[in-house]
Amino acid sequence: MPREAEPSLNERAFVVQALQEGLRVDGRAFDQYRQLELKFGEQYGVADVTLGKTRILVKVSAEVTTPYTDRPFDGIFTITTELSPMASPAFEVNRPTETEVLLSRLLEKTVRRSNALDTESLCLVAGQKCWSIRVDLHVLSHDGNLIDVSCFAVVAALRHFRKPDTSIEGGHLTVYTPAEREPVPLSWLHSPFCVTFSFYGEGEITILDANLLEEQLRVSSCTISLNRHGEICQIAKLGGTPVEAATLLQCASVALNKVKEFSTLLDQKLAEDAKRRNKGGLLAELSAENER
Amino acid sequence: MPLDTSTYNLALLRIDGRRWNELRQLRGQIRTQAAADGSSYLEMGNTKIMCVVTGPSEEGKRRNQGASSASAAGSGSSTSASATNAADILVSVVVGGFSTVDRKKRARSDKRIQELQATLAKSLAAVLHTHLFPRSTISLSLHILSQDGSLLACMINAATLALVDAGVPMTDYLVACSAGSTSSHSAADERADPLIDLNNQEEQELPFLTVGTLGASDKVVVLVCESRVQVSRLEGMMVAAADGCVNIRAYLDSVVREKGHRMVAEGAVEKGASMAMDIDV
Amino acid sequence: MATAQSERIFVLPGDQIDPSLIPSHPKKALRLGPGLRHIPPNELVPTVAGQLVTDPRKNSIWVEYNGGRYVPTVGDLVIGTVHHSATDYFYVTLSSYTSNAILPQLAFEMATKKTRPNLNPGALVYARVCLANRHMDPELECVSPSTGKADGLGPLNGGMLFEISLGMARRLLMRKSVEEGKVVVLEELGAAGLAFETAVGRNGKIWVNSEKTKTVLLVGRAVKETDEKSLTVDQQKKLVRKLVREMS
Repeated sequence: MPREAEPSLNERAFVVQALQEGLRVDGRAFDQYRQLELKFGEQYGVADVTLGKTRILVKVSAEVTTPYTDRPFDGIFTITTELSPMASPAFEVNRPTETEVLLSRLLEKTVRRSNALDTESLCLVAGQKCWSIRVDLHVLSHDGNLIDVSCFAVVAALRHFRKPDTSIEGGHLTVYTPAEREPVPLSWLHSPFCVTFSFYGEGEITILDANLLEEQLRVSSCTISLNRHGEICQIAKLGGTPVEAATLLQCASVALNKVKEFSTLLDQKLAEDAKRRNKGGLLAELSAENER
Repeated sequence: MPLDTSTYNLALLRIDGRRWNELRQLRGQIRTQAAADGSSYLEMGNTKIMCVVTGPSEEGKRRNQGASSASAAGSGSSTSASATNAADILVSVVVGGFSTVDRKKRARSDKRIQELQATLAKSLAAVLHTHLFPRSTISLSLHILSQDGSLLACMINAATLALVDAGVPMTDYLVACSAGSTSSHSAADERADPLIDLNNQEEQELPFLTVGTLGASDKVVVLVCESRVQVSRLEGMMVAAADGCVNIRAYLDSVVREKGHRMVAEGAVEKGASMAMDIDV
Repeated sequence: MATAQSERIFVLPGDQIDPSLIPSHPKKALRLGPGLRHIPPNELVPTVAGQLVTDPRKNSIWVEYNGGRYVPTVGDLVIGTVHHSATDYFYVTLSSYTSNAILPQLAFEMATKKTRPNLNPGALVYARVCLANRHMDPELECVSPSTGKADGLGPLNGGMLFEISLGMARRLLMRKSVEEGKVVVLEELGAAGLAFETAVGRNGKIWVNSEKTKTVLLVGRAVKETDEKSLTVDQQKKLVRKLVREMS
């Protein structure tokens, strides 16, 4: 099995020494994120997010299927993550690493279990027909902080996504093409985001958005997921060096501020995209009307 | 609707008659398995867990990994310095099919179980002096016999007991306790009380988290929350859970001391028996 | 030949090389550098895309490229990380995900059976590649076989390692890095009064050490930025001035 090259002793000592002096190797402040960029694709539901050298692509798709028998009134919502060897040779296809398992669990808890997407709205005919929303996440390049970027990308793609409009007449289901009826957005309840803290030393040094090297050297980490209303969706500090409880509480309030920033950024990007798409939107609709 | 919260406000008593800061009945034993290096059995109310420790042993972990892919290495991406200089901690969790009311079969590769295993391995790596056992393996196997809430907390406590029995040096007891809040996630009512050591019914209805602390200190090793809750509730819940941890630590300590006293009282018999065992190995 | 050099000839893998470009020296044998393959009896084929460079005086020819993966070549100076040690060898990682190079424990200055260096896993060494065949693990040495002197090679203590592109590493290692490689960033930093030492590995690594953490970070950042943004000489000078001003 190919292994991630472990950082040398010199790097270990230096990074920790620098952090103790209040310096990060790439010159950022402790609570500073790398440049976060979000691009939407031509299709609905495609988000391409880069954070420094980490890059993640998310694609949302929908199809009509039969619901699970034990949940006849709910649609199906799945998130699949793929960490391919393209991102880092330490990842192998079809053999999920611990990173991948923890990442998919985290997304599951943050987005799915917190009811960000109203799955009941995906139901078409109870017990017979429902929408199945599938989120595919691909890590294209891995330079640390996969969790925060993945979560941001998944939420962005889902909020950008439009599913075909449908109608039911006399038990007969019609799915309209985008030409016939404008696709409709998903019923979205709240937007949770993850913020990951990395701890160094005896847990007294806290930094945000660790890159790969910093991630390899941290003694402990804590991921807090919140939405902008201050509701925690999930906290995961899965072991590692003990950290003072007060520090964690402080982290929660820092996370809340960051989440508000993410929220604003996403709203702004979505508005920009909507504006771009709507250019002459009314006119296009009119011409379609004439053709008929 | 939350039947717990509705009755709670009347008498400030929970569904099983406890007050907010009361733990359920704790019952623990150590050295339950004669053949293992360390073993324990812990009940927190109706959550019952058995833990068996093998090691630290020097044979490589390869054999173990071949047997079950569900083992999580303690030296994950973020823990111990370099893999060769510290012992690996392998944790495998076995959920008994009979442990819940509905008899559901769980796949070994269940991501939830894998996450639990990784959590246990990483948190134990933080408190054990693994650097004393280079190139060796400590493997833990936890058997869940019955589930009734606070599963992660009970698993952590059982693992601590078993490791004490195995004689692995550690900084302090790693103890965990869950805490919930009586308010639902959206309500911003200020009178919400924290509750500790939730049972299954309460876990279904209330937001809760699990805190694992290093002994009786304020240092948090594990903090897991999987439900929606206002950020302002966090402090209250964590404080309550930390209080619960202090009590649990005292209990675990009493279990260990009692066993120690008994061993001293029985004296030679125990000693001879254990020595014979060592020779057999 | 001088005109050919200034014209900058670029080749793609499998291209035909114009025989007029191949230097011909009456006495010396033709030396092939990286990126070229000799197919007997007398055909030369480039194996990478890049600039064809010739040196008529040394009668050598090679392809200059900024590839992503380091392929060891005899004589290269590299920075490696000790992965583990066996009875006679250290196994050294030159780049991630490639097989380890071997470094004999006696290939150090003044090393004997009794006084061999003790390197822990994770230690950095500055070494020269002394054996590099395809399908074989490369071999390293930290001592000149002819003189028995270290010549600056050996374990690197302290400091910090930065990753740079292979092209940048080549430029920094050129004998006349300022004129030919167009990198003045290290000279400028030195002229600005910073005290630091560096070691450049042909495998895309630069090691920087200084008494002050800030200086190490500054040097590393300056080199990386020069590399990533392919700064010109003037821009490098400007960058150094800016960074030095920020630090003080």
